[in-house]
Amino acid sequence: MLIVIALGFSMAIMISVPSGIMANQAATTSLMESYDKTIGNMEEEINRTLTLIECRTTSGFGQFRPERPDRTEYFLNESAISDVLSIQGVKDVVPFLEYAVGTSRTETRMGMEFTIFVTDYTIVGVPLNSSLIDNYSILPTNIAEGRNLREGDREVVLLSSNNTNYFGAEAGDEVNIKGSVFTVIGVYESADTRLYMSIYDAQTITDLEGKISRLDVYAEDESDVDRIASIIASIYPLIYITTPTDRLSQLERMKQSYQFMLQNAESTFSQTQTTAFQELIIAIVATGLIVLFTMTYTVRERTKEIGILKAIGLSNGNVMVQFLLEGVLLSLMAGVVGVVIGSMGAPFLASLLLPHINLFGMGPGAFSQSVTVTPNLQIILLAFGAVVLLGALGSLYPAWRASRTRPAEAMRYE
Amino acid sequence: MSEILVKTEGLSKTYTMGKDRVQALSEVNLQVNKGEFISILGPSGSGKTTLLSILGCLDKPTSGRVIFDRMDVTELPEKELCKIRRNKIGFIFQTFNLLPYLSAIENVELPMEGTKKSRDERRKSAHELLSRVGLSGRERHRPNRLSAGEQQRVAIARALANNPTMVLADEPTGNLDKKTKYEIMTILARCTFSTAPKYGGLVVDQGTTVIMVTHDSDIASQTGKMLYLDDGKLKSHQS
Repeated sequence: MLIVIALGFSMAIMISVPSGIMANQAATTSLMESYDKTIGNMEEEINRTLTLIECRTTSGFGQFRPERPDRTEYFLNESAISDVLSIQGVKDVVPFLEYAVGTSRTETRMGMEFTIFVTDYTIVGVPLNSSLIDNYSILPTNIAEGRNLREGDREVVLLSSNNTNYFGAEAGDEVNIKGSVFTVIGVYESADTRLYMSIYDAQTITDLEGKISRLDVYAEDESDVDRIASIIASIYPLIYITTPTDRLSQLERMKQSYQFMLQNAESTFSQTQTTAFQELIIAIVATGLIVLFTMTYTVRERTKEIGILKAIGLSNGNVMVQFLLEGVLLSLMAGVVGVVIGSMGAPFLASLLLPHINLFGMGPGAFSQSVTVTPNLQIILLAFGAVVLLGALGSLYPAWRASRTRPAEAMRYE
Repeated sequence: MSEILVKTEGLSKTYTMGKDRVQALSEVNLQVNKGEFISILGPSGSGKTTLLSILGCLDKPTSGRVIFDRMDVTELPEKELCKIRRNKIGFIFQTFNLLPYLSAIENVELPMEGTKKSRDERRKSAHELLSRVGLSGRERHRPNRLSAGEQQRVAIARALANNPTMVLADEPTGNLDKKTKYEIMTILARCTFSTAPKYGGLVVDQGTTVIMVTHDSDIASQTGKMLYLDDGKLKSHQS
């Protein structure tokens, strides 16, 4: 029984290791595709907005700004719109008010106190002016329920699909946002927590009348962008300005980082494959040796029986076939045990036997979380066939030795 | 005149163990006719089992030859010897040597594997043989559920499975009580043409030659002929 379990484990390794490699490869490919898509989308977006200058009162994470008494210092007055519009070469200015709603909690780590702000949702107030919402990417486009916001909408809100879980509401329902009741006009598909409403509604419910947190400035011509950006910077030295050139640089840095991680991942994957190959060889050799030693021991223990079989007329061939079949039967039983262990334990065995893939910042331990190792039927059948074949090969020598046993000597064996 | 079934001429066997040489048989000349029931008597270590092994084509002599059924079996290759063992010779051992993981009937069927008999024919023959040795109804029992006498009956049925011309019995009654010994001897005698007085009135139904080795002179005396083997030499001959 122990032999069958040992062989079963060998077979489980034969199932788990290739399954782990395949799962690793699939996860790597998926991540690469996802990253390629992200990079592609970003490139497309940058090319589409070559005249856009983003002006934020915070460093790009404004939507996560917590509520605090001195919040006024984080906002611009609406007068900034006309100021910027008056700059020569500016075509349009789109104001936003982004306001994070959540809870702050204080945690002590290593003797130091930290205040952590957990965002429940972020209010995004947008100008519902058809000349802006029709011409620029202001509102989400992937509407899953209801409709999008449009000119003249008041006291209505566009939730993300993620928000619907928080509010427990869907299109047509009413929700309470900072003490005011809004009708959910639509839901857009996203894991984001941003909800959209009229900028006037946003200013009212946040007590920030006349304030804005972001300006999207569109130049008449892309050649004017840098000039306009420098003028805005001189007028508002505290705001963060991002031009298409900045975004392209950022994209370039992302690409370089991606290339580095890709090379790292390929190197890790190559090492994983080498390790997997070595482990498979060890499992195969171990299986063959286990069968060989077991059957050699069996033949030795049953020497007298072999003598009896030969005395009553069984030929060398009969004896050899009998012991070969016993070896194959042993490996068949091990195969069944191996299928059970391999199918159930593949994720654990694979994570135990294979180095973790280190792609896109995933460290050790990320394997089991991000890669699902599920052995497929083809691998199971191949491993089963390999174990049975190894059982037959491992039994070959003991069976041959049994068949060559001299009956008179065997009969004397005790 | 009776036909000779097995004959040995100057049969010698020497075992070599390292530098030691043990002379197990020395110039044994023996002749056994078809249908005879003979016993070879001798003390332990006298070479009885070695002689039986050579007669049964399990071992080869160091010198001399064995003529069995008009063939010099000492010159035959293992493949041919295997056929002779399967088709013409049956073995019975003191310790029965039944395969413990097989039932009584499966043990009896075992020698029939490799013959031309179908599975049904093998099963039918095995049933008949077990019935002949008085074991009807015990076919499915494994050896560990049978008494010593019953196990030896199964062994006799197995030895007779392929209707052999010769049965070689190595101390077949050695592990049995007196009553069972007599029953086993009766079964063996019924296989032969033997007309030993103690079995008077028995129906001769096989015509098989039985050569039995024993150190029990009482048992040996119940056979048609007794031979004495001492220190590897056939000392005397008595009818």
